[in-house]
Amino acid sequence: MEPESIDDFENELRQALERRPAPPGLKHRLMERRSGRRTQQPRGHAVLWQRLAASVALACALGGGLAWRHQQERRQGEAARQQVLTALRVTSHALNKVSERLASHGRDDQE
Amino acid sequence: MARDWQPDFEQLVDEHQSMVFSLALRMTGDRGLAEEIAQDVFLELDGHMDQIESPRHACFWLRRVAMSRSTDALRRQRVRGMDLWVEIEENHGARPEEKSSPLGARLEGLLATLPEPQRAALVLRYQEDLTPEEIAVTLDAPLATVKSHLQRGLKLLRAKATCHLREYIRGA
Repeated sequence: MEPESIDDFENELRQALERRPAPPGLKHRLMERRSGRRTQQPRGHAVLWQRLAASVALACALGGGLAWRHQQERRQGEAARQQVLTALRVTSHALNKVSERLASHGRDDQE
Repeated sequence: MARDWQPDFEQLVDEHQSMVFSLALRMTGDRGLAEEIAQDVFLELDGHMDQIESPRHACFWLRRVAMSRSTDALRRQRVRGMDLWVEIEENHGARPEEKSSPLGARLEGLLATLPEPQRAALVLRYQEDLTPEEIAVTLDAPLATVKSHLQRGLKLLRAKATCHLREYIRGA
């Protein structure tokens, strides 16, 4: 049974390597996977669009939130500025009064 | 330009499932993995049906992709540290009803011990009866490399067969 020449050996090898039959049901399982994949493809597209829409909505919400926060900070800054200006006006008014009184006292002393 | 031949997926599966499965089985040595590879190859073909120009082209495409996917699977298994060929060496790779002659089974087992490029070249040469030129195109390898793999693979297999089959004959 031992191969005697390279030709015999190659013939033995050719016989040993004959194609094996595919497992029973391979085609059936393949066709099921194929039809499953085909129905999944449109679903896959829908999921893709849903994800895209969700991403856009999330980006809009984040952008809107940031803009609103920026606006709030500007309003708070403006209110603080107005308060400082009012405080400065009050202080200025009080200082003017004090200055006027000091001036009138000075005049009285000179007379 | 309209083509005369229109590929029919089911017909291509019927015609080539044995070839694709056998290539994957001989490259990986695992029936389950070979079936999975065969299914993946045909599903890939389904996505490329518009590119298939003739029955010959379909056969060439299937051989090429089957070899490529089998090599990928072997690479993945090597990364995971598994040696699938242990299975076929222990003769679990074939179903009892499919087992070839004892000598054939031994030769198939010995083929499994060859380095992967040599095994690929020998499988295409002796299972598919391809010429070295056709093997080079299928494996996308230089012709000289394929010829070298064939020569070295055959020499190594012959040396192993001479040693192992002598023991087999003595044991029989």
